[in-house]
Amino acid sequence: MGNPSGDLPEAVERRFAAGAFSSGLSVPDFAACLDMGFEPIGLVQGFCAMQWGWYTMGGAFRRGFSPYGGAPGDYLENYQCPHGMRSAEHRAWGQNYEQSWIEGAWREGFTSAYSRMLEEAIALGAHGVVGVLDTVGEISDLGVIEFHIRGTAIRVTGAPPSPVTPWTTYLAGQRLTKIFEAGYVPVSIIASVASVRVWASCITEYLLEGLGMSMWAANSGPAEVEQMVSARTAAREIVRAHARQQLDGDALHGVDVLVSEREFERGDMEIQCLLRGNRLRRFKDFDPLPVPQPTVRLS
Amino acid sequence: MSDATNDLPEATGHRLEELEHGLFTSDLSVNEFLLIKEVGFHPVGFVMGSSIYHTGFQTRKWGQSQELTKLTEAMYNARELAMTRMEEEAAELGADGVVGVRLDVNYYEWGKDAAEFIAVGTAVKAEDGVSRLNKLGRPFTSDLSGQDFWTLLQTGYLPQGLVMGTCVYHIAHRGLGQTLSTTGQNVELPNFTQALYEARELAMTRMQDEATRLEASGIVGVRLEEKSHQWGSHTIEFLSLGTAVRQTSSEVTLAKPTTIISLDN
Amino acid sequence: MTTADDPMHALDLKAEVRRAMASLETPAPYGGSTTSDLSIDEELNLHSIGWEPVELVSGLSVVSVPWGAWNWGQGEISAASEAHEQAFRYAIARLHNDAAAAGGHGVVGVHIARSVHPRHIELALLGTAVRPIGASVVTEHDVFVSDLSARDFTLLMVSGWQPLGLAYGASFVYAPRRSVGAVLQQRSQNVELTNFTEAMYSAREGAMERMQAMALALKGTGVVDVTVIEGPMPFAPHAVEFASWGTVVRRATDVHRRLHPRMVVSLDDPVVLFDARTLS
Repeated sequence: MGNPSGDLPEAVERRFAAGAFSSGLSVPDFAACLDMGFEPIGLVQGFCAMQWGWYTMGGAFRRGFSPYGGAPGDYLENYQCPHGMRSAEHRAWGQNYEQSWIEGAWREGFTSAYSRMLEEAIALGAHGVVGVLDTVGEISDLGVIEFHIRGTAIRVTGAPPSPVTPWTTYLAGQRLTKIFEAGYVPVSIIASVASVRVWASCITEYLLEGLGMSMWAANSGPAEVEQMVSARTAAREIVRAHARQQLDGDALHGVDVLVSEREFERGDMEIQCLLRGNRLRRFKDFDPLPVPQPTVRLS
Repeated sequence: MSDATNDLPEATGHRLEELEHGLFTSDLSVNEFLLIKEVGFHPVGFVMGSSIYHTGFQTRKWGQSQELTKLTEAMYNARELAMTRMEEEAAELGADGVVGVRLDVNYYEWGKDAAEFIAVGTAVKAEDGVSRLNKLGRPFTSDLSGQDFWTLLQTGYLPQGLVMGTCVYHIAHRGLGQTLSTTGQNVELPNFTQALYEARELAMTRMQDEATRLEASGIVGVRLEEKSHQWGSHTIEFLSLGTAVRQTSSEVTLAKPTTIISLDN
Repeated sequence: MTTADDPMHALDLKAEVRRAMASLETPAPYGGSTTSDLSIDEELNLHSIGWEPVELVSGLSVVSVPWGAWNWGQGEISAASEAHEQAFRYAIARLHNDAAAAGGHGVVGVHIARSVHPRHIELALLGTAVRPIGASVVTEHDVFVSDLSARDFTLLMVSGWQPLGLAYGASFVYAPRRSVGAVLQQRSQNVELTNFTEAMYSAREGAMERMQAMALALKGTGVVDVTVIEGPMPFAPHAVEFASWGTVVRRATDVHRRLHPRMVVSLDDPVVLFDARTLS
């Protein structure tokens, strides 16, 4: 699918050949677009449907015998049982590890959908894509996840085609106007994901749920659950690091972080962080603005 | 559908006459009403159109992704009928257009496989008496709010019609062999990608064709909706909707916004 | 304001946009990889008072509640109150740490995600570290943390006030038991259950007092935008929670500066807001 412009479905070309533009912009956003000297040229979109499973490396049962070794460079932490005992009920060790294969598959799905949207934009001769919206959702009950990214391609009225890849942004309307006025120019949308699997140690299980061997728990007062703090902190750090790698000296603006946790079975859970934002480049020096006029609504 | 100009039920006749003598009804808010007056339009009445349609059934192939053309046609025709009837009510009032159009689908207990498609909105008329009818000589329709209508007119564009395209698509079930061979991998399924692509593109192209018929310069506020209605999870209707607009003046009269910081909660 | 002397609007927007886009053809001339979860409005607000975002920062904590803490008893459930206090203290300390390492002088718009489970209390803080434009690094001790939005922060600063930090307090108590005799006696009467009233009162007071003590320790003269959470615990209906937190402020200038807001009448209906996300 990597071959640009060659794999656009036939229907797209027919749609693009039509005289009228289509745009997902609301009227205020459309008005702001004209104000900036942009003309909308078409709604552009890209998809990627992927088979999806939340499996663990090597299968869940294997982990009962020896800890997972981890991939080079990935986050990995082991928690040994201090009690020196092994049984079906009492875990000999706990582990936090980064699931880089899930992060990789997610990145592949997102990037495929994104680059297909860009192909459409390039086919239209766009300078940029504004008001990008992305959804990652399951298709009914099929075990299939669909990445769908869309936005409105725009062209600077009267300007020649740009030699660089069209820029993209989640913003549109007055928000985008203000980005330019503040001395920034959008470069691209940025999305990254982090996935950390937690296999709770006996101590963690005891502290979280009161399960296991209470008589070995040293303290009786409140205590911090180190393994959980560590896993959650790691997930947030990984997602920020992934995003920072894509910045290349630019700023990341309007970040949205979504954290979700799911428990597969007792003591086995996944922490997932999704980060999205706008990569912006400063094109002129900061120019302080006057403080806006405070208002009170009469109602 | 569009040549039947007078097939309205008799009961509506009386109400429309009253409206022509100055009384108007509308579901516009006061803000919207004032903004519509601001750009030289007057609301003339609340209009609606409805059609109860039997959507029927079409056999699908278990393992094949395909468009269900009969269902697509039914969904399209039903909405088109409701819209046309609403336009007729508006034309009867001498309106130039309809704003704030909402399209709804209702299912009732009494009619299995039957659905009511409704279109409602507020008919408006230009105060200067110059006709704003669209290229087909019919009142324009749009799902714009009063605020949006005001803003759009400031940019030198005029709505031409609410345009839509639909595509009912059956997404293939996967064979057991296929499922097993990819278990344990997060991989792309190109067939699915292609099917979803195709379905949405078909809906959008049909919408665009409608805009072309209206000689519009573009469509704003395009929405993509996905619904399974009552067909089960593998059959999905992809509906795309938007307001076709035409540039009537190159003069943009929109004032520079003032930057404010509101002390309201 | 739309006036000619307003530099922002004196700009020729279209020319500016073209200039901006031309700069995409060359590598970034200005360094400074900042990250922030602020909206452009919030960033412009900060800029108007000479502040800038630096980095997205977070701090979190999970603290266990000892076994048996929620069992039937009397008075305060001190183990739970203590766990709650620890969770806040650790999470804020980590946020401080993160912000100071990034070179921030404070953290604004801190989003507080808190959940209380039978055996543990979770707290996750996420916000954007900010500083006066180009300012040098300060010690961790001087970094303030605030759950006020960047907009609220701007208004406070413009009026001559400064945020000092977050104050918080929580108190978990057992609902008192009534004797069998009392229950029978009160069954057909409309009377105040005074021991209940008293227990609730003292718990609420306990939480507020802790918050106020913390505000005083930060040398604040007030706490604004206080969030209060109260009610029975879903998993232990005989236990009641009172928790509150807010931003501690102090006047930074000799006098309070009035804002003199202008009255406006909005023609927007509540649903009409600027938002790019119309394509759904």
